[in-house]
Amino acid sequence: MRARRLTGSLAWLVVVTLTAAGCGLSGGSDDGGATAGGCKVNEGNVGSGKLTGDVKGKITFQTTNLKKDFGGFFNGVIKDFEKANPGTSVKWIDDPGDNTFTQRTVADAQGCTMPDVINIDAPTATALTKAGYLLNVGVKDPDAAKPFVPAFWKSSTYKDASGKAAHTVLPWYTGGVLLTYNTDMLKKAGIDPAKPPKTMFGLFADYEKIAKSAKGKYFATMANPIWRIPADWDQMNIKTLSADGKSTAFADDPRTAQWVAWMAKLYKEGAMPKDSLSSSNDPSTPYSQGQVAYGSTNPSFVRFVKQNSPSVYAKTGVGQQPFDALGHTTAAPQYISVAATSKHAPTALAFAKFLTNAENQTAWCKDPKVVIFPTTTTSLDDPFFQNATGSDPFSQARKLVAEQLKTTTAYQTNVSPAVQKAIVSQVQLAMQGKKSPEQAVKDAQEKADELLKQAG
Amino acid sequence: MVATQTAKPVSAPGAEHTVSVPGAAPSRIRRLSRAVLPGPAPGANGAALYRRWWLPWLWTAPAIVCAVVFGVFPFLNTLLLSFTDAKPLGGAASFVGLDNYTRMLDDSDFWLATRNSILYALIVVPLMVLLPLLLAILVEKNLPGIGFFRSAFYTPVLASSVVVGLSWQWLLADDGLINTWLEKAHLIRDAIPFLSDSWLILFSAMGLTLWKGLGWYMIFYLAALGNVPKELHEAASMDGAGAARRFWHITVPGVRQAMMLVGTLTGIGSLRVFTELYMLGGPTGGPGGADRTLPFYIKDVGLDPITGNAGYGSAVSVALFLLTLGLTLLAQRLTREDES
Repeated sequence: MRARRLTGSLAWLVVVTLTAAGCGLSGGSDDGGATAGGCKVNEGNVGSGKLTGDVKGKITFQTTNLKKDFGGFFNGVIKDFEKANPGTSVKWIDDPGDNTFTQRTVADAQGCTMPDVINIDAPTATALTKAGYLLNVGVKDPDAAKPFVPAFWKSSTYKDASGKAAHTVLPWYTGGVLLTYNTDMLKKAGIDPAKPPKTMFGLFADYEKIAKSAKGKYFATMANPIWRIPADWDQMNIKTLSADGKSTAFADDPRTAQWVAWMAKLYKEGAMPKDSLSSSNDPSTPYSQGQVAYGSTNPSFVRFVKQNSPSVYAKTGVGQQPFDALGHTTAAPQYISVAATSKHAPTALAFAKFLTNAENQTAWCKDPKVVIFPTTTTSLDDPFFQNATGSDPFSQARKLVAEQLKTTTAYQTNVSPAVQKAIVSQVQLAMQGKKSPEQAVKDAQEKADELLKQAG
Repeated sequence: MVATQTAKPVSAPGAEHTVSVPGAAPSRIRRLSRAVLPGPAPGANGAALYRRWWLPWLWTAPAIVCAVVFGVFPFLNTLLLSFTDAKPLGGAASFVGLDNYTRMLDDSDFWLATRNSILYALIVVPLMVLLPLLLAILVEKNLPGIGFFRSAFYTPVLASSVVVGLSWQWLLADDGLINTWLEKAHLIRDAIPFLSDSWLILFSAMGLTLWKGLGWYMIFYLAALGNVPKELHEAASMDGAGAARRFWHITVPGVRQAMMLVGTLTGIGSLRVFTELYMLGGPTGGPGGADRTLPFYIKDVGLDPITGNAGYGSAVSVALFLLTLGLTLLAQRLTREDES
């Protein structure tokens, strides 16, 4: 009898577990209510039609690693918003923004616990838009585009589950790109710091000269191609992905194999530290320690050098990143998005717009602790950006990037971390001489296509 | 009547009389518990409540719920997902039968990761079983200041894997401490590529795992060594046994159970290794992804939010589970054979 009861209990347990597992598998709501991803939401949050409702209630706002340096600024913005909208309350969370950020955010989304307003990057926006977890601000607020530089707004789109472009993000701020270099090391190599190279292969030729003059005492740059793919290819106007984004296209361009061949040659000739081939380290730290000639391409990096290594800062020069065949630079803005799962979506949307409006963007971008640039037309026209003066590298960086932003597009090839790693791995093998550049490019395309195919 | 009563077995108050039924042996545990544990007579003062069949289940219910929610459900979910083409971000998943498993068999990256994981376990487990034991024997004695050494050997256990990984990067870099020493000692001319050669990255990561785990397992062995009778060592010494013989014939048998436990735990830990290889081999898991272990590979193919395939990642997870299970069963079998 007891054995029968025990068997019955176990059978019940298995049935319940399998049922639960089955529910977990489907991940959706079958009761016909409005859903975003696998979560039940207010009907107004999804579908067509403008978002309406009272701006009130408590929302959460998540940034990425900003509290330490900009706590005062953001607390002020939150206070102003709450004052302007009585009955609202904003809880600020600051994520450390490490390598697992996207995975954690995705897990939050699946658990229907994503913050109402969240600062995300392009890969995260791609994943969340496709799965339907972000509010389509372009639809829910037809006026949302107005403040932003048209090029930024136009290119800040992601594809939803049906493959249709959706404006699920508000461009927040951008860093821009430029060259930063140690003028002493360039001079020793016979390179004029005032005339930075105009093409990517021209830059590689300079790396080669630096390697010859350095004789192993220092290096031109870091080796891991993960820092360059696909940014370099973008500047060279090599199409990494096909037009529909469902397959790769870089192997069709002969310049890709040439680029890999250059990287292999530079690695072999000692232009890059051998042990940095697969390292996570970017050039920031070794540049500040005087170990590499070229630093990060991010303008904020200049501030980092100024703060951490004054002697190297004194030798630092800034120049225009090679536009190469593209003819203009690209920018990768940070984004603010609103969760479609928000219980107070009107409040969340109102706060997202408040945070990214011209006034707040300008105020933050003027903060002396940061070198970032706004994405709204009004703030970019501010004399602070357009009439930057001063000959120090910090001021020069501001001036240069502000100039470039007039012609930039926000579009940068957005590949998933897995696709990027698949490509990078093959280039690493070519750099070690284990594959020919042509074979590495071919294999990289094959592996990346396999990943894109499984993504559907 | 009286004769019948005296013929009954003597038992504690409240105990049931055992009845012999052909083919159904009474539970020894039940009889023992009733013979030893005092308690009210059946049916007296509501004591029958304590005999409800569901009471043990009620007591264990919290543990069962936790086990189901955090153990059984995720496992079964993973098993089910491995037969689908599910995406990390949910959405409709279709059953694809054994496709993920057949794909796995043809996937060279999977086999490379499997090789790395098995190699990791094969090298790390024996060393992790033996080295902490030697370390424990060294610090076992109650000498003045020995506490400092015990703490020092335990310190790496407390450090975060990321911090340890960074320290080892500096140690193993081309211009790091080890290469600089070797160059200054004129033992090498070119730096040893600890961080750019795929084999050396793998072995360096093993070294890191060993270094970080030694102190932890040393504590296990210190506890076990305390149970080895000192008299045995003294008697063996008097009989002329040297240190080596005493180690093999007294110490090792005395801590055998601890060794088996350490072996099992280390085996499972070795198959789950990720951070060490990420820190030393970078985001790609070494040049060309040559140093990826199975957990690393699962993260890459299954968890990427855009192109990940949770179904395939789950299939690889099941393979990792089977590998771990196989190793654990092997360890148990060895333990049984040893005991017999």
